[in-house]
Amino acid sequence: MNQYDIRILDLIFLRGPNRWSYRPALEALVDIGALEESPSNTLPGFVARLVEWLPGLRKHECSYEEPGGFVRRLEEGTWVGHILEHVTLELQTQAGRPAGFGRARSTATTGVYHVVVRTTQEDLTRTCLLKARELILAAIEGKAFDVGTALRELRVLADRKGFGPSTACIVDAAVNAKIPVVPLSQGNLVILGHGTRQRRIWTAETDRTSAIAESIASDKDLAKQLIAPCGIPVPEGHLVRHADAAVEAAEDIGYPVAVKPGEASRGEAVFLDLRDGEAVRVAFAAAREVDSTVIVEKYIEGDEHRLLVVGDKVVAATRAEPFRVTGNGRDTLHHLLSVALNEIAQAAAPSAVPLTIEDFEDFPTVRLALARLNLTFDAVPAAGVKVELPRHAKIGVDVLEQVHPSIAAQATLAARVVGLDIAGVDIVARDISQPLATQGGALIEINAGPALPTHLPRGAHGSHHAGEAIVRHLFPGDDHGRIPLIGISGSGDTTAVARMVGFLLHLHGVAVGVACGNGLYLGERRVDHNDSANWAAGQRLLVNRTLNAAVIETTAESLLREGLPYDRCQVGLVTSLAADENLARFGVQDPEQLTKLLRTQVDVVLPQGIAVLNADDAGVLALAEHSDGEVLIYSRDAQSPAVLEALAKGRRAVYRDEDELVFAHGTEAERLPLPPTFDAPACLPAAACAWAANVPVGLIVSGIVGFPAATTVTDEAILPNN
Amino acid sequence: MEVARVRALRGPNLWSRRTAIEAIVHCNEEERDLSRMPGFIKHLRAIYPQLQVLPVPDGGVPRSAAHVIEIATLSLQAQAGCPVSFSRCGQTPEAGVFQVVVEYSEESVGRAALDIAQRLVQATLDDAPFNVESEVARLREMDEDERLGPSTGSIVNAALERGIPYRRLTSGSLVQFGWGSRQRRIQAAEIDRTSAIAQSIAQDKQLTKQLLKAAGVPVPDGREVKSIEEGWAAACALGLPVVVKPKDGNHGRGVTVNIETKPHLEAAYRAAMEAGTQVIVERYIPGHDYRFLVVGDKLIAAARRDPPFVIGNGIHTVTELVEEVNRDPRRGEGHATSLTKISFDEIAFTCLELQGLDPSSIPAKGLRVVLRNNANLSTGGTATDVTDEVHPDLAARVVAAAQMVGLDICGVDVVCQTVLKALEEQNGGIVEVNAAPGLRMHLSPSYGTGRKVGEAIIAEMFGTGTDARIPVIAVTGTNGKTTTVRLTAHILKQAGLRVGMTLTDGVFVQGTQIDSGDCSGPRSARSVLMHPDVDAAVLETARGGILREGLAFDRCQVAVVTNIGAGDHLGLNYITTVEDLAVLKRVIVQNVAATGYAVLNADDPIAARCGAACPGGVIYFSRNPANPISVTHRAQGRRVVVVDGDAISCVEGDELCRLPLADIPLTFGGRIGFQVENALAAVAAAWGAGVDWTHIRAGLATFLPSVAATPGRFNVMDYRGATVIADYGHNPDAMVALVQAVTAMPAKRRMVVISAAGDRRDEDIRDQTRILGNAFDSVILYQDACQRGRADGEVLALLRDGLSNATRTCEVSEITGEFVAIDNALARLAAGDLCLILIDQVEEALAYLTERCREANSAAVA
Repeated sequence: MNQYDIRILDLIFLRGPNRWSYRPALEALVDIGALEESPSNTLPGFVARLVEWLPGLRKHECSYEEPGGFVRRLEEGTWVGHILEHVTLELQTQAGRPAGFGRARSTATTGVYHVVVRTTQEDLTRTCLLKARELILAAIEGKAFDVGTALRELRVLADRKGFGPSTACIVDAAVNAKIPVVPLSQGNLVILGHGTRQRRIWTAETDRTSAIAESIASDKDLAKQLIAPCGIPVPEGHLVRHADAAVEAAEDIGYPVAVKPGEASRGEAVFLDLRDGEAVRVAFAAAREVDSTVIVEKYIEGDEHRLLVVGDKVVAATRAEPFRVTGNGRDTLHHLLSVALNEIAQAAAPSAVPLTIEDFEDFPTVRLALARLNLTFDAVPAAGVKVELPRHAKIGVDVLEQVHPSIAAQATLAARVVGLDIAGVDIVARDISQPLATQGGALIEINAGPALPTHLPRGAHGSHHAGEAIVRHLFPGDDHGRIPLIGISGSGDTTAVARMVGFLLHLHGVAVGVACGNGLYLGERRVDHNDSANWAAGQRLLVNRTLNAAVIETTAESLLREGLPYDRCQVGLVTSLAADENLARFGVQDPEQLTKLLRTQVDVVLPQGIAVLNADDAGVLALAEHSDGEVLIYSRDAQSPAVLEALAKGRRAVYRDEDELVFAHGTEAERLPLPPTFDAPACLPAAACAWAANVPVGLIVSGIVGFPAATTVTDEAILPNN
Repeated sequence: MEVARVRALRGPNLWSRRTAIEAIVHCNEEERDLSRMPGFIKHLRAIYPQLQVLPVPDGGVPRSAAHVIEIATLSLQAQAGCPVSFSRCGQTPEAGVFQVVVEYSEESVGRAALDIAQRLVQATLDDAPFNVESEVARLREMDEDERLGPSTGSIVNAALERGIPYRRLTSGSLVQFGWGSRQRRIQAAEIDRTSAIAQSIAQDKQLTKQLLKAAGVPVPDGREVKSIEEGWAAACALGLPVVVKPKDGNHGRGVTVNIETKPHLEAAYRAAMEAGTQVIVERYIPGHDYRFLVVGDKLIAAARRDPPFVIGNGIHTVTELVEEVNRDPRRGEGHATSLTKISFDEIAFTCLELQGLDPSSIPAKGLRVVLRNNANLSTGGTATDVTDEVHPDLAARVVAAAQMVGLDICGVDVVCQTVLKALEEQNGGIVEVNAAPGLRMHLSPSYGTGRKVGEAIIAEMFGTGTDARIPVIAVTGTNGKTTTVRLTAHILKQAGLRVGMTLTDGVFVQGTQIDSGDCSGPRSARSVLMHPDVDAAVLETARGGILREGLAFDRCQVAVVTNIGAGDHLGLNYITTVEDLAVLKRVIVQNVAATGYAVLNADDPIAARCGAACPGGVIYFSRNPANPISVTHRAQGRRVVVVDGDAISCVEGDELCRLPLADIPLTFGGRIGFQVENALAAVAAAWGAGVDWTHIRAGLATFLPSVAATPGRFNVMDYRGATVIADYGHNPDAMVALVQAVTAMPAKRRMVVISAAGDRRDEDIRDQTRILGNAFDSVILYQDACQRGRADGEVLALLRDGLSNATRTCEVSEITGEFVAIDNALARLAAGDLCLILIDQVEEALAYLTERCREANSAAVA
């Protein structure tokens, strides 16, 4: 039995904004047992071992807000919960998915901590946390721990499950542009935006990428036939099926020629500058393995360039560089190449997935080049011997600024001719800054779903630039892909309020969905009878392409267990704050903690949005300061000081004044006769919410009257709470 | 008998609006009249009895072997199932040489038919055997390979019905509709806006289900499983019976339904693994299979799909019953017909086994024996149209499913008891969503009404009211084509249109040259009509292309015939007279849209006569206000564009627009007659294309004659005070026009530099100098490397000949080399002189002249 243990009592994946963070996070309830008595500085050799295993920890700033801050804390003495947080974060970073935020907080129980780590990939963070626990225990006990193997496993997991590099940079750009991202649990589909405003991406394809255009692009010969008549130079070529025909075509065209498969791209089996029949035969055989038809075309001399076209613009351009290493008489070619690749990867953006030599090994062109040089990956080149491998699209130099306008125009025209909204256009030219016609350059091919340039050095027009361009293409102008989203939380009446607000929006002619404790509604149709005041149901509404607005109820428990199903909302309502013993098991006991929890609903209100708050509940009213947007209050009391103050400040308030319902804005007010059914507690917050959501006041009042009769659902829906 | 030359006329042509094969057939003396070869007809009847060689009417042209080739080529195609009806065989001016023209629907089939016909005639002449049957069978097979499939065909037909032009881009099903910036594409039942992502979603059944569920569409619960054990556990959890299917399959392969036992599940799992890589187990929904077709946001068709089955009679085995059903002549092979033969294979045997039967069992009378658990037409299932019965809620769910996935053309598979009720009422569900669905079961269901699917797809792509055309203005004539094209294009540009134009010196799109050389043929015209950035096309349409290949378009908005005059290029291709030439140039007039216009020169009687052939309106233009044709036309309330005093006046009924010649720099204030004519033609063309007067005025005002705007067309330059005019004119009509134009310009001494292209008739070459000899004092004749088939000195001799009776010319010199001639002329010029240089290598000569003038003038200033 070990002297020390770290027990993980509970693990919660918070999928949306939550009490710790606006972003998804993993929350662990951790019991550090006897370690509570042993801060880091009291554990012999622990700190040194830890920092040796994970030198990256030296960069952690922690509370000192400067690199080395965390190591200082370790040396001064800090507790294992806090260390677990930092080690988990560091492991995530080393796995290639840096997440940034972490937190460790003690709970009411001694030795039990909340350790929270932000996550972009749940299973990775979970594994990192478990590995961090093992690593810390090993470091405490002075046992061996194979850090290298652990990191490799984590990287494999990150690569397998995470977004590919192209998708990741589009998603990053969307997040930066404040566009909500809804990843689906299935497949590679990512939904950007909500409801009718959503757009979809699947690697570097958008929902407007035409399937026909893709099939044209994959048929290289057809693509050329369509492009050439528009005045864009393309190399003369023939489609062949036999080696003899390939040689005949080569002789007809005139050497040197290039040979490549009729379909498939990414330059895997493209052979350039072939100068005789024998070379053509060898290349034909290799290309034939990729596709049954092979193209023999005029070899165009010059550098290969990849232009990334998005919409009507060239947004990135790279020149492929030959890949060179120099032998030292000690290391294998494999090792030399790996080192060179790492240098490139380090120069690239930090989010880029490192290249591995295996990315190159399988390519026939690489195999053929090595065979020509009589080399294998295991060979040890003598000192000073230079080995050059064929140019490769993954290793490029940014040339965006140099591209001649006529070439950019031709590249975008080619994309239009084929019908692609995003295309990778391959151009061979001696000098990309001069028109093609003057230098005998040509457009070689056009590719759908191109990989984004993820391996350019920092500062170049690389993946970040490309991702941004794609997001701007999908969401032009100030479109953020958002539909009006009304978030409803609080201790009472929330289900009925959600239903009623949904009904009022529906009356107003908005295609609205409601996820609440009473079920899931699309318009008037109740499509799910199960409790839908949860994360999954909320997300279900937001991916629905037919919805123009969504009303989502989130219970305090759901907020604790899952987080909100959206990042920001247009209208955020908190009805009331009342202690709930069910929440005690989450460590939420006193009203103050409840306030902290429900404040999330107000925190996520958009700057142009509105927080709707119950002025009759002092705790709720106090949340006003957390709203980035406007604040609209409601009250049963026309003389409430809060109402008077709000109106005096020119704000909005909805209140009951005897037999009238008053919608007041500063000095102006609309007074409407109180509907007979208005005594139901949900009516007032629903009216305030609907007003915040731009439903005309007249419609609100008549809608409240019509609500019970106009709906097919059982009356439980409008009763105070369910 | 010999077939000398074969051409495919791929658009409207001299003979008809249809596509046709044209062959030149040489017949020897005997073959020119079959009545002199009684054995021939007899043998022909024996080997090809279906061929009807019509008797010759009294005094008619005798039937030749060429006629047999004509009717055989047509008949063979018709027998192979091609929809063709037009053919003709005409005698050319050369004895024994015939022009055979036969319509085709697929070019390769037409060519093959001609080839067969030729061999047939040869066999008949040689009295050799010939198997027509097998040739027709081969032709039929070829046609089925080539022609569009039924799905694509239905969409193309719907497009044609609306007047939308189309063009096949591949031998497959990729088709382009419309022209220029209005073009759209389809590939089978897929349109160009069909999203690749939506297709990927539809391929992923689990993801599809997740999205459909989000949209509130009922779907059967299910899960992916990795082993038989896991599959059985899932089946038990979901509740039996279940369906097992591959995650990424299609055509119903590897799908097993109604599984209630573990052994059945095991067999089903293995079948699914064979058809795909991952297996799904889902709740089985009892009921019928329905396929709904959604186009855009509408339900277009619904069909119930029944699996293939036979009904026992207590006498025959299952095998015999299947054979009996398959004898139904409506059941064909493959995808072409509304019923397909039942596939009696391993899958069918397994299905029998589950019913306790095998192929040799004799099912009891009335027993329904199902032979497959899916209802695909291609394996013998049937489709019954139920479109009119679909409950609106059910239709709404199906449309929601298509929209959630994002497919604009979508086949939605539904399982339920009846389409008369909503899915929710009967526990039905949507089981699959398909991209690029087959349309056959809706176009020609086995039972019930066929639906207008093609129309719906065309409506989705184009909305209503548009025919996806861009304005096309075709320009032909002997002289003035190029300037008319350039000026018309310039006017259209003022109207905000992105213009593509073809010319004898290149293809231009939005002012950028995208091709060079002579681009007045159909290939260049097609490249403009295919260009995605073109809103309007102005196409110089020369005679060569019309003869060679026909037109590149089925119809145009405006057809301009500038003039025919005395003609040009006469004697080539059996076009020997000016009348022949008019018939050829008339082809563009014959193919004007009903809403379009022919723009014709009323001053040119032959051009003016083309009007009768125009299906649309006619706009006559004339430099003569008293021209009887235009005066009459105007009196009839129709459109004319005429010179009236110092302005061009455009009249239709009472409507009048005056365009002062002083505001048209191209005409030098109206002094250059042939440029006035070009301006008239361009104004009329722009009017016919619907351009408003503001833009026409602006276009005329900003089109400045210059080497850049009208290269080789009356480019006026100054050389040390002398006027130098460079022009590319090269036929007698052009000389008349040029003489008229330069005579209007003041000059002391007049000089002309001229050569001629060798491929003209002798008299046409002579005529040119004959005309010039009466207007110029001095003539420099030159010849250059390119003599176009003439011997050295031959052209010069003809030119000299033409000057023999010159009234004005007093000095003639001969020089070899265009640039030497230019230098020579420039050297002789004094201030106040005028020199017309008829250039041949347009671009180079203009560049040279421009440079020489610039040098000289800057030297003069210095």
